[in-house]
Amino acid sequence: MTQRDIFFVANEVNELGGVGRWQIQLATLLAGRGHRVTVVGIAPPHHPMDLGERPPFETVTLYARRPPSRPRPRRLVGRIDPAVRRHEAHMRQAAERLTALFRAARPGAVIVVPQVWAMEWVALADTAGHRVIGMTHESFDTCRKTSRFQRVKKYYQDVDRLLALTQEDADRWVGEGMNNVGFMPNPLPIPPGTPSPRSEKVVASIGRLSHEKGVDMLLDAWAEVAPQQPGWTLRIYGRGEAEAELRQRCAELGLEDSVDFAGQTDDVPGALRASSVFVQSSRGEGFPLVLLEAMACGVPCVAFDCAPGVREIVTHEEDGLLARPGNTSELARHLVRLMSDEQLRDAFGERALSNVRRFDPDAITRRWEELFDFLER
Amino acid sequence: MSSVAPEPDVSVVVIVYNDEDRLATAVGSVLEQSLRNVEVIIADDCSTDGSYEVAQALAAAHPGKVRAIRLPENSGGCGEPRNQGVKVARGRYVMFLDSDDTLEPNACRNMVEAGDRTGADLVSGLCVRVHTDSRHGKRVLWYPWLYRSTRTLESVAELPDLFVFDTLSTNKCYRRDFLLDNDLTFPRGIHYEDLLFSAQAYLAARRITLIPNTVYFWNVVQKSATKSISNRRGEIRNFADRVEIHRRIDALLQQRGEDELKLRKDIKFLKHDLVLYFRELPFLDDDYRHRFAELARPYVQTFSDAAYAELDRVHAICAQLLLREDWTDLMPAIDTLINRNKISAPLVERDGRIYWTDRYLDDPEMRSVLDVTTLGYHAKQLNQMFLRNRLTEYTVRGGDVVLAGEVVNPLHTIADDANLTAELEFRARRRSLQTFRFPVPAPRHQGDTIAWRAQVPLARKLRPLGIVDDVWDVRLHLTADGKRTTSRLTVGTVDLEDVEDVPVRPRLTRLMADRLEAQVSAKGHLAFRLTQHGQLARTGRAAVERNLHSRPARAAKGAYRTLRAVRRELNSGTRKLQVYERMLTRLPVRKGTVVFESHLGKQYSDSPRALYEELRRRGTPITAIWSYAGQRPEGFPKDVQLVRRWSWRYLRALAQAEFWIDNQGYPLRLAKRPETTYIQTWHGSALKRMGFDEPGLRMLSEPEQRAYQQALDRFDHFVVRSEHDVRTLARAYRIPEHKLLRTGYPRNDALVRATQGTPDPEAQRLAERLGLAPDRQVLLYAPTFRARPDGRVRDFEFPFDVEEFATRFGDRYTLLVRAHYLNRLTLPPSVAGRVIDVSAEPDITPLMLLADALITDYSSVMFDYALLHRPIVFFAHDWEEYAQDTRGTYFDLLAEAPGPVPRTAQEFFDALADLGTLRTTYEARLKEFVDKYGEYDRGNAAAQIVDRFFGTTGEAR
Repeated sequence: MTQRDIFFVANEVNELGGVGRWQIQLATLLAGRGHRVTVVGIAPPHHPMDLGERPPFETVTLYARRPPSRPRPRRLVGRIDPAVRRHEAHMRQAAERLTALFRAARPGAVIVVPQVWAMEWVALADTAGHRVIGMTHESFDTCRKTSRFQRVKKYYQDVDRLLALTQEDADRWVGEGMNNVGFMPNPLPIPPGTPSPRSEKVVASIGRLSHEKGVDMLLDAWAEVAPQQPGWTLRIYGRGEAEAELRQRCAELGLEDSVDFAGQTDDVPGALRASSVFVQSSRGEGFPLVLLEAMACGVPCVAFDCAPGVREIVTHEEDGLLARPGNTSELARHLVRLMSDEQLRDAFGERALSNVRRFDPDAITRRWEELFDFLER
Repeated sequence: MSSVAPEPDVSVVVIVYNDEDRLATAVGSVLEQSLRNVEVIIADDCSTDGSYEVAQALAAAHPGKVRAIRLPENSGGCGEPRNQGVKVARGRYVMFLDSDDTLEPNACRNMVEAGDRTGADLVSGLCVRVHTDSRHGKRVLWYPWLYRSTRTLESVAELPDLFVFDTLSTNKCYRRDFLLDNDLTFPRGIHYEDLLFSAQAYLAARRITLIPNTVYFWNVVQKSATKSISNRRGEIRNFADRVEIHRRIDALLQQRGEDELKLRKDIKFLKHDLVLYFRELPFLDDDYRHRFAELARPYVQTFSDAAYAELDRVHAICAQLLLREDWTDLMPAIDTLINRNKISAPLVERDGRIYWTDRYLDDPEMRSVLDVTTLGYHAKQLNQMFLRNRLTEYTVRGGDVVLAGEVVNPLHTIADDANLTAELEFRARRRSLQTFRFPVPAPRHQGDTIAWRAQVPLARKLRPLGIVDDVWDVRLHLTADGKRTTSRLTVGTVDLEDVEDVPVRPRLTRLMADRLEAQVSAKGHLAFRLTQHGQLARTGRAAVERNLHSRPARAAKGAYRTLRAVRRELNSGTRKLQVYERMLTRLPVRKGTVVFESHLGKQYSDSPRALYEELRRRGTPITAIWSYAGQRPEGFPKDVQLVRRWSWRYLRALAQAEFWIDNQGYPLRLAKRPETTYIQTWHGSALKRMGFDEPGLRMLSEPEQRAYQQALDRFDHFVVRSEHDVRTLARAYRIPEHKLLRTGYPRNDALVRATQGTPDPEAQRLAERLGLAPDRQVLLYAPTFRARPDGRVRDFEFPFDVEEFATRFGDRYTLLVRAHYLNRLTLPPSVAGRVIDVSAEPDITPLMLLADALITDYSSVMFDYALLHRPIVFFAHDWEEYAQDTRGTYFDLLAEAPGPVPRTAQEFFDALADLGTLRTTYEARLKEFVDKYGEYDRGNAAAQIVDRFFGTTGEAR
């Protein structure tokens, strides 16, 4: 296996969140395979994540403070607007540092750009002799609603490969005229281990308490479930801006006895092993790590089928149940089915545990290395 | 070769025959692939130009990457050079490329990636046809529906459409071992070699992967000139090869027992392959037609009945008439095949059904083939008909052209004594600045047709500009008793080729053009093209063409486009919104103006209408403005100001109105100023989940939900008719308590009054207009629409046999059918007078008043009609499907329905047997239902609302 120089050029080196966790995990995995890994952040993180004593990779951050956002060119002046030109000059300066890093690398290096904002700098740097892999870490539909959509199409147009999270998302990008798209699933964030005994009468939900995670819809569904399944608790882990509103809604629905707002947890596997069913009611997702974690703990999942990443992870009627997005009654019916049938829970849970191994970190790392080789052909 | 490279990933076989100019481009598209490990094999089919020299030069320039081989003699097809190329290929995969086409830059990488990932023998991608001679760079995707997403098939039988439609060999990447192991080669010495090769490859492949990526650019030149007769004859001769290839494919399919694929292919042959030749038949004489039939018949006769059963009406008619060699009836059928909305045959009515022709009606099978009742021809007015107009004469006399033709008169729509006038119209195909009309003297009845003849002084009167307006279309306007129908002239066997051209004098002088040449359009219609005959015109035109690409010409074109874009932009939605917000809403409010809208402007109806009429009845001094949608407002009162939805006047009216009254919603993005009072009457109680109870809305992101909420917050008052509405609609649309008007629906006042014995004059007028027999009871059938999984509206189908209904109940009941406004229906003439389509009636209230009973499924009309305390039959044949679709319902209709709920057509007919029993059985439950869902409908809703807002002083909000 060729040992390479690998650069991750991301918005931040260690921002708390899904992409940050993924990046550190993959950088560590690749370093473990003998590659020389450098993680470059454009700006310092808002909420830094601990990288441990001695991370197995170099880290570089281009800006000491977060750079201001790109000024919008004034209509008549257009690109010759001095504000725009100043900004571009600053960006070029920062990109010079990237160029220096890339030039110092051995030929055949790979530059992985997990977020399109960082790509704006990579696009200005000299990447000659190396392969550039762009990534979009969210579902196509989620991206389409944001300003990133146009930027993905612009800045990733000429990269050697643009990676979406799933085949389905990749196909949608192809439909937008991007012909350099592939896909790469996220690796399992935790090793599959001792499965949950699935004996506690607990349904778990884990995630930020925000509109996007759709806990309001989960409460509506639970209002249909609770009367049918007395003795069960819905344990909602996480905190966030919607908490007060959700607690109020919970009270309005008269669910206080069966719903437990458990706050944020540092021990996700522990929380999962103390539950028998996992539920996700998000409005949008990318490739939800928490579903992977639940399956790695042998907990069957019930989720809104809101993104290709969800149906890629959970196979309906095999290792979990998927409801049509927003259809709270259907979500409730699925929950009741699993809650009332211990055998079904066990069957789905065991299958989840074995099915999720296809996202085993070693397997995913090998796929990355195969991709590096392929792009060299 | 100088060096032996490692095994290439892909060998691309580029075939060339006498195409020295384009070969390098094709080869270049391979050498510039993002996947660099590829080789090119140029296979020259013994060209007589410099193609082979170009190939050798390319090989010399790219040693180890490009090789050139040459066939010892010309093979005359694409197959043999490809076979020879594959023989010398070294790559893991093989692709084919023609010298006039190109590969997409990522094609090889995407194909190989897919092949390696799935282990497929064959990877196929999207091919794009590039029209090189089109002004706008027209591109047509080749069967894009097959290539929407990545898909891996274990056998082609999983996707018969792939086998049947995508018969190209070039948009594919084959594992080389797969080709060799299965001995896959192209046949020699026959046309359509791709069809057989692809069929063999599809069948042999153990796995096939389709990718949505564009891989191949197929450059085509659209034949701008019309086909000559000899071209058309040539096509017919090629048909023999096509049939032969299909027979060979059939043999393969039979060997493998692929019956389903065979059936799909037969259907495609009937629907597509045959049609290619049908297009030529109208121009050929009976001798050629006969030869074609002789070739086609023995082949298509072997097809199963199942294949014919899959054809739509017109295809089936064409196929059957071809088998019978009935050219007289076939030619009109072909015309309709090419022009789908054209009525081409005189048609006959027998026993209440409409038939294409009366010739074969003794044969029960043909009778069902020729039955075109469902096409709804008989329900059309003359001015809605596009009629076949067969050209019977075309002669040139000096500068005059004599034209004659026959317009078909289907079902004698044009009465014998009708007053007929006609004129011919010449209009340029691209933007016409001028139109030329010529009178046609005395059109007259002649058998089944209207015959006409005219001498047109084209040379003197038709003055084209000479540039931009190169092609002129001809139409005939025929007027019969004031109703006008417009037709085009179908050329057929009338000879246009051996007739002299007409001299013409363009306004930009004869330097542009000097002749008008008759030609046939793609749809088979007569047209004229400006041509350059004399030396002067030819040089003049050539100079113009050259200058069209000059810098000043480009600048002028650019300026014109900018101007057009600016105009478009000025009238765009965003601009209108901006002006509305920044300017219009700052104009003063005009006191006393009320803007009404019903169902987004589609109708003058519902509660807004009832409120308007109440205001008029009282003589309240208001300025009434009604919004309408579409091109022409229909059915609105004379004394109101009408504004088209989204027009500037509409926006201004809304911006300055004192009141907005509507039943569905003014455009969501239009903000309402605080001085305006918005009375939202709403349009029906809910069974299906609505608003924020609907999954679609719930899934919206926070900003999207906020925007929607803002639109809802514009409502100042919201009319409800029961506490059920408060629990469902008001909650779903988040309407606070203080905005609710618990008055009932103004539109339902008439219904409540009817129960108090007041006859409604409008209902009486409607009964007369519909010709309802007083001795028969009236049933109103008002089903709601059904959505398909993708959200689109499903076509309407009767859940029972409407002819059986007419037979069984026709002497007792008249059935009024009102389809949902998103649906359209066609009734056979056999049920005329017994079943009447009332879908076009703008307002449903008078229909409800006329009806002695209502039949519905889940339409909200049930809540309103119940007010009449007359029987309701709930024909809920698909309740489970309806209730469990993505939305869900607020209550269980099966449990709450105040009437019988038949689930099958039989039960439905049984339920209708006795209306009297229905009335007594369900009297109590109906009352309960009304109390629950219509408690506030007391007959004075309009009065209450008008009192409150428009009383003597009016309310200041």
